[in-house]
Amino acid sequence: MSCLEAKKPPLFISEPLTKDTVSQSLSLLNGILKSCYGPAGRLKQLHNGVGGYVCTTSQSSAIFSRLSVSHPVLRVLTASVQNHISRFSDCGLFTAILCCSMIENFKSLNIATWTVIKISKHLLSVCMDYLKSEACGCRVSVDFSSLETLLCLVRSVLRSKPACMLNKPEVEHLTALILKAFLFTVPCHVETNAVLGKCVIVPVKGRRVVDSTVLPGLLIETPEIQLAKPLTVKRSCSNMIKMALFCVSLSGDLFSAEEGTITVHHGISLEKSELNRLLNVGKQLVNDEVGLVVCQKVIHPSLKQYLEENHVMAVDRAGLSLMEPLSWMTGSKPIASVHLLSPSCYGSLKDVRIESFASKRFVHLIPNDTVVCSLILCNRNETAWDELKRACETAEHVLQLTIKEPLALLGGGCTETHLASYIRHKSCSLPTSSFKDLDCSRTQYQLVADGFCRSLESVACSLNHDDGEILTDMVYGHCWFVPSGFPSVSNWSDLVSKCGCGINGNTENLNWRLLQGQFGSPITQGCPKDPTGKVADFLTLDCFAAKCSGLQVALETANMILDLSYVIEDQN
Amino acid sequence: LPMAFRDVNARRHIGLQQLSALALTGRTLLGPMKSCKFIVDESTNQSTLICSAVRLIESLDLTSAAGQLLNETIQAQNKEFRTGMSTLLFLIGAWSSAVLECLQQNVPVSAIVSVMSEGLNSCCERVQCLQISIHDVNKELCSSSVRPNAFKSKTCQIGCDSLLDPHIFLYVQKDISAPEEVIPVNPCSHQEDDSNFNKRLLSSLASLGSIASLVKPAGDKSTSWISGSGVIASNCNKQKLTHSRYFSTLRKSHFSSQQGSFQGYLSGRSADPCECYGLGHLAMALSHGNQTSVKLLQSIVAYQRERAECSGSSQFNIAGIVTCCLLGLPESYSCVSPGFVTLVSPEQTTVIKYFEDKPLRILLMDGDLTEQYRHLGFNRPCNVRTILEHPSLPEGKADLWLSSMLDILISFEVNLVLVKGNVCENLMERCIANSILVIGSVTQDVLCAFGEVTSAQPVTYLTQLNASCVGSGAQVGLWKACDGRAMDLGELVPVRIKVQGIPLLTAVLTTTVASKMQLIEDQFWTLAYRLHHALHDEKVFLGGGAAELLCLSHIQMLAKQPLQPSNKNAVREFHNPCLAASATEYTSVVLQALASGWKQYLSVVMCNTAKAASELEACTSVDHHLKKAAECGSPSAYILKEFRRGDLLRGGSGPFADDGEGLKVYDNVTAKTEAWRRALDLVLLVLQTDAEIITGPKRNQLLNSHVSSEFMFL
Repeated sequence: MSCLEAKKPPLFISEPLTKDTVSQSLSLLNGILKSCYGPAGRLKQLHNGVGGYVCTTSQSSAIFSRLSVSHPVLRVLTASVQNHISRFSDCGLFTAILCCSMIENFKSLNIATWTVIKISKHLLSVCMDYLKSEACGCRVSVDFSSLETLLCLVRSVLRSKPACMLNKPEVEHLTALILKAFLFTVPCHVETNAVLGKCVIVPVKGRRVVDSTVLPGLLIETPEIQLAKPLTVKRSCSNMIKMALFCVSLSGDLFSAEEGTITVHHGISLEKSELNRLLNVGKQLVNDEVGLVVCQKVIHPSLKQYLEENHVMAVDRAGLSLMEPLSWMTGSKPIASVHLLSPSCYGSLKDVRIESFASKRFVHLIPNDTVVCSLILCNRNETAWDELKRACETAEHVLQLTIKEPLALLGGGCTETHLASYIRHKSCSLPTSSFKDLDCSRTQYQLVADGFCRSLESVACSLNHDDGEILTDMVYGHCWFVPSGFPSVSNWSDLVSKCGCGINGNTENLNWRLLQGQFGSPITQGCPKDPTGKVADFLTLDCFAAKCSGLQVALETANMILDLSYVIEDQN
Repeated sequence: LPMAFRDVNARRHIGLQQLSALALTGRTLLGPMKSCKFIVDESTNQSTLICSAVRLIESLDLTSAAGQLLNETIQAQNKEFRTGMSTLLFLIGAWSSAVLECLQQNVPVSAIVSVMSEGLNSCCERVQCLQISIHDVNKELCSSSVRPNAFKSKTCQIGCDSLLDPHIFLYVQKDISAPEEVIPVNPCSHQEDDSNFNKRLLSSLASLGSIASLVKPAGDKSTSWISGSGVIASNCNKQKLTHSRYFSTLRKSHFSSQQGSFQGYLSGRSADPCECYGLGHLAMALSHGNQTSVKLLQSIVAYQRERAECSGSSQFNIAGIVTCCLLGLPESYSCVSPGFVTLVSPEQTTVIKYFEDKPLRILLMDGDLTEQYRHLGFNRPCNVRTILEHPSLPEGKADLWLSSMLDILISFEVNLVLVKGNVCENLMERCIANSILVIGSVTQDVLCAFGEVTSAQPVTYLTQLNASCVGSGAQVGLWKACDGRAMDLGELVPVRIKVQGIPLLTAVLTTTVASKMQLIEDQFWTLAYRLHHALHDEKVFLGGGAAELLCLSHIQMLAKQPLQPSNKNAVREFHNPCLAASATEYTSVVLQALASGWKQYLSVVMCNTAKAASELEACTSVDHHLKKAAECGSPSAYILKEFRRGDLLRGGSGPFADDGEGLKVYDNVTAKTEAWRRALDLVLLVLQTDAEIITGPKRNQLLNSHVSSEFMFL
């Protein structure tokens, strides 16, 4: 007997943003994300509450991948931030916080949504034009012939992840390593289509961070290999090692027929016939003078024994993640079937060695041309290692984005405050014809612009977590932090030393003002100056491409959420 | 579905409170005198005896996030060093509560984080002056062992050393006989050394008479051993033993006539002063009073050095050590046996007796020895059906496999099979009947060691076998205790498998108390790894609280003069006096918090070792030392001096101090500083955490529970 249940009608929720639960959830999410932001950000422990693995993090990628929010409005937000993270790795928190702040700021304006959207789109285009123009005062060009700017970029990424638990010497050590690893992946001989190589992160948990290192080529973990035994690898005439790469399992199991049953007579062993086939492959490999066999999966012990007796080194369980760089590095084509073994599949290697780190043993494959390298990454415990791995991947990605577009933005909140100053300045001097084009009044424009600027500034404010004051100056429009415990009436120039990104020092009277708390009062702002010419060693820099995208994603997502008029939920 | 949970009051950080509460349970496990604990499981009424932080943490219920992270940290230290876990646990607790106090005083989190981590960095740099290279340590330990009292304890030890295998015993003897030679003959060879040494030398010369009398019984004993085993006496040690024998019977006046030969002999040795003493003394100094393990380790060291002299391999190879736990024998039966000692079933003893002293052909298998076993990564086909055309087969399928396997073993004349995994019981029976000894559950390291010396190649399946896989030269015998009788412990029988030149030693650990077995094994490995890490670091710390005391005095100095090089960066940023003053205020509060961790550490160690009656008294004593160190001008020089006098914290560690003459105590460098760093890292990690985000099914439980008001739901 089957039971039939009447279909429930879908649930309509109109004007979702006006609902209390949504705005509460939104501000809770905003609060969580703001508290994570920056080098002094507070950490979050993500766990299942019943004694499982604890992920301690302040990175957007880790938080968003585990956080599944219930409300559709929040889901729109997290989805677009996650999409940004997957494309750029960096500036995820910036995007999310900016988006939340914009929704809150624009919602509180008493202006029709479509007008807000129109004006904010215009403001975004003003920002993007400015960021892409030569005159932009908050960006620096990255000179790839010197290391300093590149080191600053990497250092900024590492320093903004406090859960990595790095001290200063460790940050410097890793910064240099990440840059070294990146430089390994840049091909020496560039033809028309230059492709960056790959850096593979090899985990060694439980060790000191300073034990981390970078090696050219790839490492395959081989727990059983004996260090004492000398390696005897057959070399071809040109002193290279011929290599075969298998992605098919050589374990000798029967290829699974999906359906039906195979019936065999007693005394016939399918296993044995499969093994014989494998041994024939082995014979051919030996005849072809292959020196090294690497298999993604498992090699049958008998085949291994046969190969080793014939001085062919056999390495199995290389894993899927290594296959692409392996084939890339050695020029070998992954062999997907044991039936067809064409000599054109073989690749070559310069050398093979055995390395050991901590208690782990590796086979180290050294290629001729190094566009593939291995970063052996150490950190003292699991949760800090995981965080460090994410940070290293982000830094690597930032360098890749920067080589495409050799620009960087000033970090430490300075880009945000500088952009806000610029918008404030621009919105005052906009010709009347523009308002007509936008179909709005000057007041409306300025209200939206103010909300836009305050959203940007609230991102900069999120960098501060110890109830001190945050200032901006009227000359460069940079961001300044005052430590907590001082009355806000003090003479600011006594209390600040350097701006957030580190490019400006406290050398002249820069006419500071408080960043927050002056709602409503219009701020007359001159065009912020470009501080170039002053070169500082330790700048905080952000990835240009990631931040630009973050700005766009935040605004577009905010506009989309503001524009939502119905949520229709299927209740079945 | 996730949820966010925020700590209600940041000043009373829940995570830090949990850490300090959990760590408090490990207080009595700190220092050389540990008090064991019984952990009782109320649901099953079972109890475990524990005496180390790792075992404690293993038996605690750690479902909270901070507890999980604590467990992870302790396990990581254990995996890497096998020592320093109690220090780690204690400092986590001490620093958590110290940081909580900082929060009470409104110190910003970022200030706590930066000052503490900079402070620890600076301390780790500062204590580098208390590091001594292994080379110097050995020299130091040599000279100190010349001193009469220390020597006395050595000779006493020989008495109880009889539990060692006879020929290992000789090497231990060699260690002891060495100082006898150095004292009278060679004052000039050490002339370039510090005057300290000469002074000590003079004093020992003055008391030479007493040494001679003390040494005598030892010498007598060694001669009797030699007469008992002629083979050993004829090896290269003969010369030394001759000397020591002369020495023990001769008076001073005779030395001049002997000098020539001594000199020649010594000049060869003085090039490397460590050689004459080996690592035995170092093991003693690292043991912190764990005498049973020291004796075992000293004989391991002696044995391995002998091997190293022949083969040129490294001095101390921890991979070549295995343990075998025998329950039911008194602890004094613990000893070291060359080769591999393991337990087998009584049925196999007949085979072993049959094999006694015969060279055996050995086979190594790196999987299970069962019909069903397939190598890792082999997927069994699920849709294959086998049909029988002739229903009346003479024997079953299982029997077919058994007899074919047995045929293989017999055809290759294999006598002994070592299997990494399990062994099919039927096959085991058939093997016993055919006089083949099969031993299962053998570790990879043991297989490797046997492979190395017998040239056997490990195989996964017997069908893989060919002649080159089978090794030869193994010998099997029942393991015999020191008094020569074979042990019958009821269910299982210990056997010893050896091969000429095998780099494998088994530490046979015995006890009659079942609950102590694990504890004894843990202690043995801790000491073995301490020695391993000391040699790997190539340096050790002065022990007995020296490093912690120097950290304390260093922090005092940092707090007074914030313009230390390590602090320069922080201060340079605030070129303004007002800012600098505020930073200094925080700095000194936070530095005091950092210092309180080490201070509590020292006082708890002193209380645990009964060096102080109360923590208050211990703190006073620490303060007294700190004051004196500060007055002295150079704290490190003061601490070094006190350490040499053995007076640091009144003798510091271990039962040796009771002799009135403090034996030197050393600590591992990396293990100690890493324990500090890991402890601080965990505390700062938890400190910087302001929310827990709980995901998964637990969320709905919480939503409907009475504590739901503490949580916020997304």
